[in-house]
Amino acid sequence: MKKNKTLKTSDTPARFKVGDRVQVRDMPNIFYSRTQNYVRGVTGTIAACTYKDLIPEDEAFDHDGRREQYYIVRFRQKDLWEEYPFDNDTLQTEFPDHWLEPVRN
Amino acid sequence: MTSRPELRHQYDIISSFQPALHVPQNWNYETPDPLFRAYMHPPHDVGGQRDVPVHYEEKEEEQWELNTYVTCEVLGWRGIWTAEERRRRADNDLGYTLYLGVPYYGRWIWSAARMLVDKKHISLTELLEKIAEVKSRYEKK
Repeated sequence: MKKNKTLKTSDTPARFKVGDRVQVRDMPNIFYSRTQNYVRGVTGTIAACTYKDLIPEDEAFDHDGRREQYYIVRFRQKDLWEEYPFDNDTLQTEFPDHWLEPVRN
Repeated sequence: MTSRPELRHQYDIISSFQPALHVPQNWNYETPDPLFRAYMHPPHDVGGQRDVPVHYEEKEEEQWELNTYVTCEVLGWRGIWTAEERRRRADNDLGYTLYLGVPYYGRWIWSAARMLVDKKHISLTELLEKIAEVKSRYEKK
């Protein structure tokens, strides 16, 4: 069994900046994730670049993976729930870099 | 890509797995038998429980089932796990929802993948990226 007791983390560079349009990747939901099911495949806007940290899917299993930039992404509620009644309402949630894909405006 | 109606349908299926009544539990030191014992009961120990007659069907294994069997055996030969660990993971640790919901060999492959992540032979991110890559390769064909 590989035990990575020494912290050998490598940082991946941030790909996005505030205002960028991004789409959440539709990755399989297996074992553990903090990426909500209902945002997968939906397009939103980077609202903030927060911090660099380990990826939840790896840290949860004590696997010292790479550190990634985290972002707060803002979605229109209407894009998440078709029946949502108010046009201007938004929802914000957070992702590490690899969960997001760039969207051309 | 999951459309919004597909997402709703998915959430409806998930609701059907859940008990209609979610009563918050407040347990004190006195063991709340028989509830506690019932929750701790291993799913594969089915003897004595009521059930409907099982429909018997003569049927060959699917290719993915044979592949799963071979993969799990090879992991055993290579000393990555034992048959007992496989049984513990596939028959016991899954919980009732998966135990009753997925095919027999689905339980095997679920537990093999989970074991490889638990023991750090692969990271969960590597597994998810690989599945996504293979999936997109098939979608392009």
